[in-house]
Amino acid sequence: MVKRSSFQIFLAVQNALFLRELSMRFSEGRMGLFWTFVEPFFQILIFIVIKVALFSSAQNDFDFSVFLALNFIAFNLFKNIVTKSSNAFEANKALFTFKQVKPIDTIIARLIVEVFITAIITCIFIVIGLYFDFDMDIQDLSMVSLGFIFLLFFSFSFALVISIMNVFISSVGKLLSFLMTGLMFGSAVFYPIKGLPTEIQNFLLYNPLTHFLEMIHCFYFVALDDEYISYHYMLVWTLSLCYIGLWLYSKFEKKIISL
Amino acid sequence: MIELKNVTKYFRTNQGKKYILKEVSLIIPSDKNIGILGRNGTGKSTIMRMLGQIEFPSNGTITSNKTFSWPLALGGGFVGKMTGKANVKFVCRLYGKSQKETQTISDFVQDFSELGDYFYMPIRTYSSGMRARLGFGLSLAFDFDYLLIDETLSVGDARFKKKSKDALIKKIEKCSVLLVSHDMSTLQDICDAGLVVNNGKIEYFPDINDAIKKYTEINKQAG
Repeated sequence: MVKRSSFQIFLAVQNALFLRELSMRFSEGRMGLFWTFVEPFFQILIFIVIKVALFSSAQNDFDFSVFLALNFIAFNLFKNIVTKSSNAFEANKALFTFKQVKPIDTIIARLIVEVFITAIITCIFIVIGLYFDFDMDIQDLSMVSLGFIFLLFFSFSFALVISIMNVFISSVGKLLSFLMTGLMFGSAVFYPIKGLPTEIQNFLLYNPLTHFLEMIHCFYFVALDDEYISYHYMLVWTLSLCYIGLWLYSKFEKKIISL
Repeated sequence: MIELKNVTKYFRTNQGKKYILKEVSLIIPSDKNIGILGRNGTGKSTIMRMLGQIEFPSNGTITSNKTFSWPLALGGGFVGKMTGKANVKFVCRLYGKSQKETQTISDFVQDFSELGDYFYMPIRTYSSGMRARLGFGLSLAFDFDYLLIDETLSVGDARFKKKSKDALIKKIEKCSVLLVSHDMSTLQDICDAGLVVNNGKIEYFPDINDAIKKYTEINKQAG
């Protein structure tokens, strides 16, 4: 057999896993695929209705629908990476028969699949936005992209820690859905930090995800700016989680393989 | 050549450490087909899994400059939700095969395994014999220095058993095999040398017949 470098093997494994994950998604039945793409629209619709019904008087100097769409794209990306990764080891156990497949590969593959699906959803949103003539002007596209890339690193580190803990502590998976709901309401998905009372602002800013979402929507809308964000805080969280995740992984990789 | 250096392997259980291997040092020479014998639960499959690098020694090292197949065990290595064909394609992609090679391998496996329409159905609808046929056919399509076969030859009907044995005899002209089996005639036909696993020790016999003799002795003592 021709000897391949580790990187070539990594690429081959990622290619195989990516196509496998995608085909599993598509073969889940039409409803599974349908909900993947329709769920985000329902989420946004519901919150727009709530907003109009309850706070119709409150005026923003940006388009609230676009604001919600952007935040849900970013938040769902984070949420799906973490929840889909959390059982990646268990679901791909059979594949560890092949020594080429390392447990961390399954997490990276799921992350790439989520990015791929999010990209499609984003395109659908943009088409709808253009058709209905929403105000989608971007203040700083490069900083918004950077925000998403930063968010990806954060999500990956978080997902790695959660998925390893999920192997050894069975209640982690159950707590995760509570945590996600909590994070959704407590991370500036529905409102910018700017208009809130100071005590609530300070409280919400303990949540690292708030900073990521603020970074993304503040560079998107001209009316908002990044005065509340601490890049230092975001970096500390990302690097610590990444460090803990990789440390745990290097310690437990063999155990996970022969699960 | 495969070199085992002070290999110890244990599993932690509720009753404390359960030793499979204790301080085993051994050199297995190249270009020999090796049969692995031992009673149930002595760690034959664990040794195969360690050679396939999906299980790791608790202490010590196993080194080799040879390539090993994945351990072909009963039912392992396949994803139940995917069709036989999809699983074959997945393994081809893992080994970095091109589209054309993948097609050739897929055709070969379909033909060899005689699964018919089942080749396009999810693996979870297969019987264990069908899974083994698919797995065995697939492993024949790749070139390794060593094939790791864990009892998969002993499933299937008589005709298919003969077919796979013939295919294996043809295959080992180009590669070697490490075979776990309880079927003495298969071992005699295919293997040159033997390993007997007993009480946490491995003993190497350059002649498979000596290994079989030793194994029969162990069985007599136990029984």
